[in-house]
Amino acid sequence: MGFPNPGGGVGWTGPAPTPDGHSMDAPWFAKRPVSDVRPGDHGWLAYAGAEERDRVIGTFVREGLRHNEKVVYVTDAPADGLPGLDRPLDGHRIDVGAYTRIGQLRVISRADACLDRRGAFEPAMLADTLGRELGGAFAEGFRAVRLTTDHSWALSGPGRADLAQMLGCEHRVGDTVAPSTMAMAICQVDRRTCSGAELLALRDTHEVLIEVDPEFDDGVLRIVRTFEPHGLRLEGELDGARHTVLAERLAAVNRAGRRVHLDVARLRFIDLGGLNLLAQHALALPADEALVLDHLAPDVENVIEMVGWRRLPGLVRGAGAAGGTEDLGR
Amino acid sequence: MIGTVTGAFTHRVLPYAGVDEYLDGAIPFVREGIAAGDRVVCVSTVGREELLRDELGAAAGEVEFVDAAAWYGHPSRTLADCLSDADASAGEGRRLRLLGEPVWAFRSPLEVLEWQRAEAILNVAFRDTGASLLCPYAASLPPGVVAAARKTHPETVRGDRASANPGFVDPWAFSAQCDDEPLPSPPDGTFALRIERPDLYWLRAYVADQVRHTALSGEDLQRLLVAVTEVVTNALRHGEPPIALRVWTRVDAGERSLVCEVTDAGSWRDGSGYGLIPPRPDRRTAAQGRFGLWAVRLLCSLVQIRTGEAGTTVRMWLRLPGRDGA
Repeated sequence: MGFPNPGGGVGWTGPAPTPDGHSMDAPWFAKRPVSDVRPGDHGWLAYAGAEERDRVIGTFVREGLRHNEKVVYVTDAPADGLPGLDRPLDGHRIDVGAYTRIGQLRVISRADACLDRRGAFEPAMLADTLGRELGGAFAEGFRAVRLTTDHSWALSGPGRADLAQMLGCEHRVGDTVAPSTMAMAICQVDRRTCSGAELLALRDTHEVLIEVDPEFDDGVLRIVRTFEPHGLRLEGELDGARHTVLAERLAAVNRAGRRVHLDVARLRFIDLGGLNLLAQHALALPADEALVLDHLAPDVENVIEMVGWRRLPGLVRGAGAAGGTEDLGR
Repeated sequence: MIGTVTGAFTHRVLPYAGVDEYLDGAIPFVREGIAAGDRVVCVSTVGREELLRDELGAAAGEVEFVDAAAWYGHPSRTLADCLSDADASAGEGRRLRLLGEPVWAFRSPLEVLEWQRAEAILNVAFRDTGASLLCPYAASLPPGVVAAARKTHPETVRGDRASANPGFVDPWAFSAQCDDEPLPSPPDGTFALRIERPDLYWLRAYVADQVRHTALSGEDLQRLLVAVTEVVTNALRHGEPPIALRVWTRVDAGERSLVCEVTDAGSWRDGSGYGLIPPRPDRRTAAQGRFGLWAVRLLCSLVQIRTGEAGTTVRMWLRLPGRDGA
């Protein structure tokens, strides 16, 4: 017997929030690099700019083409300008026409995919379009169907669809994709076209957050490009065996010549050489810019404080403490 | 880098027996600093502070008093902090004038040795700062402590007069003398982990596992992992195989410590500095990354180094919480 836990916090053992710099990320989402997308995933990509979008969607499209999967892209843009199609695939130029003729690449206009006869957004149509493409894919010899579309147009500009309609559309797509063993979808939105509340509401209709593939991952250290803020996310442990690879990636993000953020919430360990490496790259930035360490884990920060921030000029402590390490006991 | 301080660096010992001798040396030192516009810091115990305040009267307002127990926390840390203070003062064109009060009671013999080493090394570290340091040593201290003070201070003060100290020993020679004694062997049966692979991820996992039952806090474990990684990385890059790691716990007068030892067959060059001189926080230091071994000292309670033809041993000590294994 006894009293219930006065705090009421008896059994909340859910995963800690993903500390990826976006405070709106919540713990119940799976986060997957685009190459790990699998059938049944109804994915969400709120991109910060064309570079991020092209890297994620480009990979999504190319992997579909490479693996004998059907790629359905709902857009009014011309097919040969779509992300991922402008670079050779396995050493060969991508022949958009050929892929289109055999039905592996389906570029469907918005009017055909999700607008009614009067040109208004029709929430049920996108799921129907997907269902149709899915239905024929197996017979056509494809092992899966990848669907992607950018909702930004529907959420901005004149004739904007209202949020309820968009949510209705997303729920239907989710209901089609989730139980499927063949369907994968990534819904794109340009962060800048919606309010935070709209982004949250839309995101919540998806189960999987899609991000770029890691730049590096050897099971000990993982390096992921981040776009907003500009920089890298480091996870795991950084030591001498991995300085070179980090130096290369830092040099690449440094080239932008602006403030660089490192999200280190899940960086459990950094050696002294690693700190020194960061300081050296910070010195390479323009004089008024800095290398910002966001979400430092307390143990790691303690080591930096021992050495002294003063001895690491150009390194700056950024956004708050890590929220995601397992030992915080929250 | 260093500002304009006209006075030369001084580091003097004030041997005293009783309060009068103490005040006869300390008060002129402090007053002279106030008159010269120096930044005057008195590190002292509570009782000492009152004594000094009484004696100085209104002039005490010009003096910063710092608690000795807090000031003398860790030899490398204290040296670095004090050097930063001296540089900062010099940057403002003021001399740092510090009346010390080294704490010797409650220190283990190994700690005493490190504080004495710090007294010697600061003669090198502060050379360009123009700072003026006066260290009172009571005659009641153990004879060895007073004798060492005569080796580590270039000058001795009696009253308001300073004279060259004939017993002064070159700081690096003194530091080498501190390491004359060979290290005692690790406890029988201590396992030696051979380190052959350059990837130290597994080594950290091993160390973390070894110390699982030692009550070492998460923060201390992180410090230990950083220190061990640094020392092993050095051994892999500059040392010679075989490289081995040993971990054990040790109880000394009821105080428990974790000891982590890295050995290799190579030997360090002369003049390697052993991480004893605090690196100055400037862009050049950062660009050259010269804080490795110094930071290791800071991260550990104590570091012992022996290097020579027989190879190199680095022992890192971390004090464990509680006494008698509590």
